[in-house]
This record gives sequence, structure tokens and C-alpha cells, in this order.
Amino acid sequence: MTDIDRRRFLNTAVLGGATVVGATALGSVAPEAAFADVQPDLDPSAPDPDFAEGRITGINGSMLLVTGSDKSLHRIYVTSGTSIWKLRPTGADAAQVGDGLYARGVLLDDGTLAADAVWLNIVNLTVLITSIGKDVIHFDHHGDRVVGHVVLGTTAAVYNSTPPVSDLTQLKVGYHAQVIGAWRPDTNEVDLATVYSAA
Amino acid sequence: MASEVDAPFYGESTWFCCGNAWGPCGGTGHGACGTCNSGSLQCAWPNTSDACYAITRPDRCGRTGLLRWGCGHTFYITSRCNNARVTVRIADCGPQTDLFCGERDCCSNGLCARDRLMDLTPAAFSRIASLSAGKIPVLISSTA
Repeated sequence: MTDIDRRRFLNTAVLGGATVVGATALGSVAPEAAFADVQPDLDPSAPDPDFAEGRITGINGSMLLVTGSDKSLHRIYVTSGTSIWKLRPTGADAAQVGDGLYARGVLLDDGTLAADAVWLNIVNLTVLITSIGKDVIHFDHHGDRVVGHVVLGTTAAVYNSTPPVSDLTQLKVGYHAQVIGAWRPDTNEVDLATVYSAA
Repeated sequence: MASEVDAPFYGESTWFCCGNAWGPCGGTGHGACGTCNSGSLQCAWPNTSDACYAITRPDRCGRTGLLRWGCGHTFYITSRCNNARVTVRIADCGPQTDLFCGERDCCSNGLCARDRLMDLTPAAFSRIASLSAGKIPVLISSTA
């Protein structure tokens, strides 16, 4: 299905009130499938109309009401096929008012974004490890302190491009790392998903 | 020594936030070019100026051939994992390549790339991969 066909289908389905299985309309909406779609080039200077960022200010059924960091307003339609991430792959009921998000999908004629994927509270930080505790790792992020919480069964480390492991003992104070995690809203704390270590 | 000169070359791409933002990204600003926004199709490049290069230092990883490109230069970034492509323009200096020298990233199809040479905004990265992937191997080209 081409991007234009997909947009036409979603407009008809969503605006017409039909049940939409997934924003990609047909088949899987797992990220690796959604992102493999051929998408037209856009003007790189302009905001991407099929993308939204901001914080959730309201939830009305399957609609997330989001205020962008630039104060723009977004309505994001979450379908049963939307891929949702909040520290790990999860369901739409994980979304809460106050969460930050990034969303990618298809902008419909009424201004709604039919979401292929929504990432809740996701952060990607290049940090310096400043101290390591039992269940917490402290980071310096461009001069700001960030507290990283180890989540049993979820947090993984990647050492020098090796496969992810739950063993964090090779992380070292004074080394740089990349952190994928979920921000705890209105704090300087994140729950750690993956720590990529340069050690 | 890897010399990229003007031909397409492989490298790792990650993503970064810029402009108005929430959470730990809140104070990042609009980048070295003053135009960077997370919702636009933009990128950071390690060699936008002498001052930029002094921070990113890809040469310390043996990547000595990265050309000097300034704000607004267009790159075509193709994921080695799924062939999805995005067109982006330089809006910032980065990534800090030398912090992760020699780092290698591979797709499930076995294709790989090493060294962080490209930082994409969330809007750009999410056109070719899931943000939760964090980083992916890509082909970087200045020609369509």
C-alpha cells in the first residue's frame, strides 16, 4: 500500500467512524514493519506533519490530547494496532496525563494523527557515569544530574556492541554511556531500559 | 584509516532532541545552527566547523575523511536494517564520535556499521527506525 493509498484509507476509516485495526491499515504495525514503508521525502526545513511531540494533557477514549513543547496542539488517535513503548513495549492504557511523548503516524484531513507508534517518556541521553549504587546509577548530562533507576527484568547493558545483558557490573564510574530510558515526569529521574557503555 | 571523502559511507546513527522539548531535553536549545527542532527532519554532523570538529573528533576513531558541511546541507540517510530513507538538513554539531570509538551496530540481517557519525532528530530517526532502538547502522550520502 502506498503512502497516499494508506492516507486515503485511514481518512475514510477514521473520519467515517469505521473500526481501524491499525494505523498502517493492513498487517503488522510493529515498528520494524511500519518504518520499512517507503515514505516520500519532505522539505527538511519544515516540521514533519506525520510526527508529533509534547506532553499529554488529556485522554479521551482512544484520543490522546497533546500540547507540543512549542504550544501547538495535537490530537493523536491510538488504534488497536498502534505500537506503544513506555520503558518497554506496552499497551495504550499505559498512557497517562503528564507523560511526554513522540508519535509517528499519518496526519488525517481533520488534523488528527493516526498513530503507527507512540513512545511515552522516552529519552536518549549521552551521559557520564558519576556513581553506581545497588539499584541506581547517577549520571551527568551536560552538567545536569540525572538519576537512573535499574528496573529488574528490564534494564540491560550493552558493552562494546555485544548483545544486551542484565549484568550491569561492568559499567564504570568516569565512563561515558548512552541511556535509553523512560523519564519520570517532572523529575530528573529515568527508569533505565538500555545502557550502552563505551567502556 | 577510513576516508569518506564525497562518496556515500557507513556509520552509526542515533537520535537527539533539540528545540522546545520536555524532560531532560528541556534545556537543549535550537542547536549550533539556531534552527534545530525535534519535530523537523534535521541532523547533527560532526564536522560543521573547526570548533565543532574539536569537540566531536571523529579522527580519533580513524574517520579522517569527513567533509566540512555547514548548516542546511542536505544528507540522505538510509537504514541498513530496512532500506528506509530520510532526507535531512544539518542543524547542529554532533554526535561526539570519539566517546564511542570503534562501536559497532548490526541489524538482524547481518549488515553493520561502526562509529557514531550521524545524529538525527526524533522526527527523522522515527521515519527509518523505532526510537527505542537508540541507534542503527546507516548509509550516509550527500547525493540523492
